[in-house]
Order: sequence, then C-alpha cells, then structure tokens
Amino acid sequence: MLFNRYRRGLFITAFLAAPVTLYLVYVISPYIQAFYISMTDWRGVSATPAFIGLENFRRLLEDGTFWKAVTHNAGLLVLLPLITIVLALFFAFLLNVGGGGRAVGGIRGSKFYRVVFFFPQVLAVAVVAVLFQQVFRPDGSGMLNAPLMALGGKPIGFLSDPGVAFWSVLGVMVWQAVGFYVVLFSAGLASIPRDMFEAAQIDGAGRLSLFFRITLPLLWDTVQVAWVYLGIIALDVFAIVWVMTDQHGGPDWSTTVMAAEVYRNAFQYFRFGYASALGVVMFFFTVGFAILSLRLTRRERIEF
Amino acid sequence: MPDTPRFTRRELLRSAALVPVAGALAACATPAAKPSASSSAAPVATSAANPFGVSDSKPLEVWIFDGGFGQDYAKNIHQPLFKSKYPKVEIKHNATKEITKVLQPRFAGGNPPDVIDNSGANAMDFGALAQDGQLQDLTPLLDAPSWDDPGTKVRDTIDKAVIDIGTYDGTFSVLGYVNYIFGIWYSQKAFKDNGWVPPKTWDEFLKLNETIKKSGKMAPFTYAGKFPQYLYEVLLTMAAKIGGPEVLVNIDNLEDGAWTSEAMKTSATAWAEIGAKYLMEGTAGLDHVQTQTAQNKYKVAMLPSGSWLENEQKTTTPADFEYGMFPVPDFTGSDKMPYGTLHSQPSENFIVPAKGANPQGGMEYLRAMLSKKAAGDFSEMVKTVSTVKGAGDGRQLSPGAASATKAYTAAGANIVYYRWQTWYAQLKDEAIAATGELMSGGLTPDKYLERLQKKSDEIKNDSSIKKYKR
Amino acid sequence: MTTTSWTVANSRKLARQESRKRLGPMAILSHLALLLWTVLTVVPILWTFLASVKSEDEIFGDAWSLPSSLHWDNFARAWEQAHIGQYMLNSVIVVAFSVFGTMLVGSMAAYVLSRYPFRGNRAIYLLFVSGLAFPVYLALSPLFFVVQNMGNVPLIGPFIGLNTHAGLVLVYIAYSLPFTVFFLSAFFRTLPTAVAEAAMVDGASHTRVFFQIMLPMARPGLVSITIFNILGQWNQYQLPLVLLQERDKWVLTQGIADISTAAGYDQDWSALFAALTLAILPMLVVYTVFQRQIQSGLTAGALK
Repeated sequence: MLFNRYRRGLFITAFLAAPVTLYLVYVISPYIQAFYISMTDWRGVSATPAFIGLENFRRLLEDGTFWKAVTHNAGLLVLLPLITIVLALFFAFLLNVGGGGRAVGGIRGSKFYRVVFFFPQVLAVAVVAVLFQQVFRPDGSGMLNAPLMALGGKPIGFLSDPGVAFWSVLGVMVWQAVGFYVVLFSAGLASIPRDMFEAAQIDGAGRLSLFFRITLPLLWDTVQVAWVYLGIIALDVFAIVWVMTDQHGGPDWSTTVMAAEVYRNAFQYFRFGYASALGVVMFFFTVGFAILSLRLTRRERIEF
Repeated sequence: MPDTPRFTRRELLRSAALVPVAGALAACATPAAKPSASSSAAPVATSAANPFGVSDSKPLEVWIFDGGFGQDYAKNIHQPLFKSKYPKVEIKHNATKEITKVLQPRFAGGNPPDVIDNSGANAMDFGALAQDGQLQDLTPLLDAPSWDDPGTKVRDTIDKAVIDIGTYDGTFSVLGYVNYIFGIWYSQKAFKDNGWVPPKTWDEFLKLNETIKKSGKMAPFTYAGKFPQYLYEVLLTMAAKIGGPEVLVNIDNLEDGAWTSEAMKTSATAWAEIGAKYLMEGTAGLDHVQTQTAQNKYKVAMLPSGSWLENEQKTTTPADFEYGMFPVPDFTGSDKMPYGTLHSQPSENFIVPAKGANPQGGMEYLRAMLSKKAAGDFSEMVKTVSTVKGAGDGRQLSPGAASATKAYTAAGANIVYYRWQTWYAQLKDEAIAATGELMSGGLTPDKYLERLQKKSDEIKNDSSIKKYKR
Repeated sequence: MTTTSWTVANSRKLARQESRKRLGPMAILSHLALLLWTVLTVVPILWTFLASVKSEDEIFGDAWSLPSSLHWDNFARAWEQAHIGQYMLNSVIVVAFSVFGTMLVGSMAAYVLSRYPFRGNRAIYLLFVSGLAFPVYLALSPLFFVVQNMGNVPLIGPFIGLNTHAGLVLVYIAYSLPFTVFFLSAFFRTLPTAVAEAAMVDGASHTRVFFQIMLPMARPGLVSITIFNILGQWNQYQLPLVLLQERDKWVLTQGIADISTAAGYDQDWSALFAALTLAILPMLVVYTVFQRQIQSGLTAGALK
C-alpha cells in the first residue's frame, strides 16, 4: 500500500515535471518579471535598472497615444463581437433553418457555404493583413478602389485616411472571424431538435419569430461563448494592425492598439520599463474583462 | 545612431517594420572588454608619408556593409589604393549585411577587426560602442596630412558636418563617408520640354505648382505619403532658412517653444498650402517607391528626397529622364540664410575599433579613402556624393549626382541638419503622424506645432530618456 | 411505432424533399445573402491568385484586368529569392515539434490534474488556466531575455537560445499549455473510469494506463485540440517576431510580412502576390480535404 502511494506520487511528479517547469520558466516568470520591470526605468542597457515606483504609471496616464490605443481596443471590444455575431447568427440561421418552401431545413448547398465561409479562418493573420494591404490600395490598382473609380467615384484611402483606417481594420477582423462563428452556431443549431422548429411553424410562427423565439434562446450559451472569445481577440489584436496599417497603427495613430504600443515602446524605443507598465495596464483590462464575462455568463459553472 | 539619415534606405524601413531588436540589444549586452595590449605592439616610426606608423607585417582586416552601395567600391577602389602604398600589408576583405551579428562577438571577445563600415539597419549602436571605449579616437587622422597633399590636413578636406556628427562624448570617432544631400527633385527633361524653370523663391514655387497643375500634364508635387518624414525634411530645412540654423539646434536640444517658433509656423503654413492645393491624388497612401516611380512615369513633377534617389530608382528611370535637384526656395528676401542653403548630413559611417590589432592601419585606410581619387571614383561608381570636398570635380557624374554636387558646392557653409529624429524615436513617430495630418488638412499649422512641442516637452521631462545636446 | 406517427414523419420528410426542389422567394433571398458573403470571402483570395501571375505593370494598372500572359516566373522568384520555401519548411518543422510536444506534456498534465487528487492540484490547475487571460504582450520583453539567457545554459544552451527553432518550440509549448490543459482536463473528467480501474487492478502501471487506455479513449478530444494548436501555432506572428531575428530561421508569417515591406523597395509586387498565393493555397487545400475534422475540432474546442 505504501509502495502504491509512493508509485502514485512518483507518477504525478514525473508527469507534471515537464509541463510545470516549461510553464514556470517561459510563462509565469516573464509575467512576474514584467510586473517588477514596470516599476523601473529599464532600457535594456543598464545592468541594474533603477526602481522608480509607480512613475511609469503616472506617466502613462498622460500618454495620449496609449489612451488612443485603449479607445480603439474598447471600440473593437464592442463592435467586433456585435457585428460578427449578428452576421454569423444570420448566416447560420439561413443555412440551417431558413431553407426554402414551407418546411424548415438546411438550405441547398449549405455545406458548400460552410466550407467557403471558413476559409479566412485557416489563413494566418499576418497573411490576411498583407493580402488586405493590397486589396485596400489607394488607387486604381486596388481591388476595391478600381471599381469605385470606374464608377466615377473618388478613391477611398482605406488605410491612408485616418477617418477610415480604423473601420478597415475592423472590417478585416470581421471578415476573418465570421466563418468560424457560422460553423460554431451551426453546430449549436444542429443540436436543436428539428421537431421544435416544425412544431413552431405549424403553430404559424414566421421566420422572424422562429429566430427570436427558438433559435436565439437555445443558442444563447454559445453566443455568450462567442462574445467572450471575440472580446479577447479585440483586446489582444496586434498582427493585423502592425502588419497592415501605415506606420504600424497609423496614420496619425488612428488604428493603434494596446498591444502595438507595448511592442513599440519595448522593441523600438527600448523603454522596457515603460512598455511593461503599459503591459500591466493591458493585463488588468484583459483579466478584468475575463472575470466580468465569467460573472455575467454562466461559464463559471463549467470549470471555475 | 545606427540609422542616422538613412531612414529612406530599404534596410532600415524593413527593419523598422520587422527585425526588432537584435542589433541594439546585442550591442547592449557587450561585456566590458578587457583592455587590450595589442595596439601597443612595437611601434613603427611615423613620418609625413606614414603619419600613423603603419607596419608592413600587420594584416589589415576590413569589414564592409554590403547594402545599397554594395562592396565592390572597397575591393576595387579603396583597397588597391591602399595597396599601392603598402604592397606588403595583407588586406583581409569581408562584407556582410548583418554587421552587428557578425562583429558584436568580436568586440566582446576583445579582437575586433581594424576597419568597419558600420552601416545599415543592423549596424552597431555608436553610443554604446563609444561608452564602452571601443572607438579609436580619430583626431590624429584629422590632423594628419591629406593623402594627396602633405600641406593640407585631412580636417580641411572633408565637410565640417562630418566632424560635428562623428563626435561622441567629445571625441571624433565616426567618419561619415557619404553626404546625403536633400532637396526637391525633378526631371530635367520634363522641365525643359514644358518650359518650366526650377524656382528660387517661394512665390515662384507656388506659381510653378499652379502652372503645372493647369497644364494638366502631370500633378505638381508629391511626397512619400506613407513616410511623412520626407516632407518634414523640407519643412524643417525651410524653417532653418527663414530663422537660421538655431531653429533646428533648439529643436534638437528640446528647448521650450522650439517647435512653435515663428520660422516653424511660417514654414508649416507654407507647406500646408502645398498639401491643400498641389499634391498628386492619392499621395497619402503611397510610399516613396510608388511616388518616385510615378515621377519616373511623368505623372508628377516634383518630390522631396535625398541624393540616394537616383541610385534607388535606377531600374525604373527612363534613359533621358535626367534627374535634377533644386534647394528649398527662399521664402522671402529677409530669410536668415541665403538662397541655396541645403540640408545635408554625412552617413555611411566608418569606424576604427580602438582595441583592434592594427588601428594604425585602420586610420591609414580611412586616410586613403579620403583621397580625391578614391572619393571621386566612389562617387562615380555608386552615383552619390562623398564627404570629401571637391571629389566630384571633373568627374563623369550621373545627372542627379552632378546636380546635387553642384547645389552642394554652391551652398558652401550654408548647410543645416538636425538630429532629434535619431535621438528621440518617440518624437520622430509623433512628427511622422502629425506631418501626414498637416498635409492632408487634418491639423492646422498651429495645432501641428503645438502637438510636436507637447511631445518634445514630454520627452524633456522624462528622466528615463537619455538626453543629447549639440 | 404506430401507423399515424409513421405517416406524419413520412409526410414531413416528403414535404422537406419537395420544398428543396422548389425555390421560394425567401430561399432566393437567403441564397443571395449567402452568395454575397461567399463573394466577399472568396474574391480577395482569388484576386490575389490572379495577381500572382500578372506582370509588374499589370499590377500597377487596373486591378481587375486579366493578365495578358501568365507570369509563372513570379513564383520562381518568390520561392528562391524571397525564400518562401525555406520559411514554409521552418514553419512546418517548428509546428510539427511544438504541437507534438504540446499534446504530449499537455495531456500528461491534464490527465494528472483531472484524475489524481493531491495537495496543490487545484493550485497548479488554476495556475495553468489563469494563463488563458494573460495578454502575451506583457511577457514579451522579459521573455526575450529569458530565452536569451537560456542560450547560456551549459551544453544545451546553443540549441534553445534566441534564434533557434528548438527555443521557439519550447516557448510555443509553454504558451499553448493553458488552453490545452484547460480543455483536456475537462475532457479526461468526462471519460469513464471503469476501464482504467480494471487495468490498475490487473497490475498495469499508471503510465501504462495513461498511454494505452486513457489516451486512446480521449482521441476525439485530442484530435480537436491538436487541430486547434496546429492552426494557432502555424499562424503565430508575435512570438517569432521577437525570438527569431535571423532571416534563415524565420517562419512563414514573418517571411510574408517581410516580403510585403520589401516588395516596395525591390519593386517586385508580383513576387509578393506569388508568395501570398504560396502561403494561402496549401492551407486551403489541406483545409478542404480535412474540413469536416477541422470544423468540428475547432468548434468543439470552443464549446468545451
């Protein structure tokens, strides 16, 4: 018996050793260091960075660029989930329920649509960013501006007009995300017994009420999950902005986001202390969002 | 200042976009090298012909940055010249695109090579090297007789800016070999064909813009909209012309109100007018190559750039295009600086490591490079302007290089420059962002300058940022 | 089963079949909406493919013109001069090792944490799961130095420091652990215990039970999370951007972003489009072949 317990302990230790070590070295220790570094003036040069307390945090309160970034993240946090979920629900509903005729059923070709809608999801964000850089070209060689100019319109500076660039970023993010949530919601819809729709239809429910009275309530859990996921994407966005936009978050800081500011300050200005302070703020925003959404949804039931 | 005024060169932009820190961080990680005894080996007697006492028995190791200018100029011009005088010295020629990666360990190990062209995006940080005592004091080079004429000191054969900019912590230790000359570039052919004349005053400049616009043949003016640093370059130069070089010195020194000075206001207002009226359509979304190519295709008449332009565009330039450059025009007759004042800055920076095996040979190599023949051949080969005075005289220079050289000679001592953009990257980014907005009308000139002044003040009050003075 | 219910079910089936034959106005509208999104999804990708065989002049010309002749040499340049092949190989190597490693250590940790109660179990589990909410940007600069310092470890240092693929693999594994552990623990908890207990009674070791009984049983969960990790790590841009600076070590996302910057200077946009095509096409082919598994894997991952 004692031997068995010893064996069990050995097994647990052996199995946890590698993952816990890796995790502590590469994930936990940098985070802890980052909290310390955020209270120093470290620029990567001096061996002993000076401890300056909360000076970096005081400074970042006045950093207009960073707060611009925060408002962009906040905008994305609201708009990205909203637009993506509405579109995805709409398409998922059409694909699964909105079939032709009187009866409900999957629309013809629904499998094809689902495959195609998912395409952007399998492409790397960096690849998507470069692709849309070309799509958004400001003159007749741009995929979008060419037809616009052919119709006699003025070309739109999708990435060069500070008033438009943010919406271009949002648009690309939605473009990439929708397919995944169409499939996600379709999976949810598939688990709703078909008879429920039919029963409702026999009761004379129209498509609209079918959607609001049956589809949405039964999918509500999935929608909440989607909201949390998209929210995290909105707070964490980096590659799209860094690769696609002019001047990495421009023009005139009109598309910059928190992650880009952390990166810029750390690896272009070599202000590691200050960048870490920005990262700490970002950390609290993200964790705050995660806790809030766990509270609001019933997700804590599952694991926490 | 690894990326001084080469901000236009592809390596730099590429690195700004992608390669993050390797260079600077590795440079920082240099352990303090132990003092080396190698340079004190048996001295060779010095003479007027051999001012540093180069020893025939010591090999000379040279590393060239293999970038926009390639490495052939070193192999085919500089080294043969050096050899002609010291046939017994063995020259070990090397080239790389990644100076830091290859050479940083050599510094750390205490056996750096003897001459380094420390350029490109992956150049080593001069400040860090200087702090570490790794750079040979090149003052003896300045005071040595020049290669061509024992009666003239090297100091007098090169542009003064080279000495100003190459001085770190009071010691001249970096030799800029290429002069970047900034101005407004045009096609001499297009101007001839249409009867347009390079303007000398701002009024003429505005009129010329109007004429070109009305002609309907091409757009009058453009700049690399994605990189507005091309535009603030002329804006600052004109401000210095109006208010004198101290306008730029004050900006460099983060003085209170430096950005909001009258000269800056006048210049910003003037350029904002160009932005509002005469820009090629779509300028804001185009990069420097796209705008320069548009110029090669005669879609736009003028753009601000530097003397590397001709080499950069050589594949798309029509044979009869004939690049020309004119200086920023006079704003009024009462400008503090005369017509022809130029913004010019030395670059392509050569150093001699203090702890190398053969610093005497290294300095002698630089002395050979600064000879008229070496510098002239170099200018011809890579279509550019060297920092050696008069090196381009009587040479078959390409039209653009000839035009820039002419303007440079005419400018004489009326040269201005600024360094804040390499000292304070945050200020540079803010200036880039704001200048784009100024040109597209999103910011009034006053708001534009206020914004930059605010950023400048922020940096001044930020104790964590190292400050520089000039 | 009674006759009537049979008839009802049958008639519904018939009705469904019949409705699929006729396209009602609603169905047409549905198709229009779906087709619109299909076009939005596919056209930018097709446009890229098209541009990849155009000449430089055609790319700068009208965006919608067809190429006058097919310039396959663009691909040769993208492959050789732009090193797309090298980058792709690097990506494959890194992702192959890191996904294998992630799945191995991740499932080990998840298994122990979900099935073996011991003191500290909950704490370790929460440590892993809390990583889900951390923004990676906070850890970036310390991580850079952690990896740099790993390079000084005796013997293995040179293999896991900066600019090494093995170093990146370890980092990928560490940063994939939170989700992998979170998901797989939940999965292991749902598996029946009877088989494992029986095997233990028969004298099988803990390790054997894990590898020979539990892992095969957990197959669906493993497949799903493997796909999730492959896509996530293949598309990673931020970590290699910081940790791999040597060009010949770069992964595909870095390569593409670089070509986009370089295209402007080399005036070789056609090679950029060819490179994009080379990055996109294999992903789409692989996805189309395995789309069922990929879709269900990803969505299951999200819904857990």
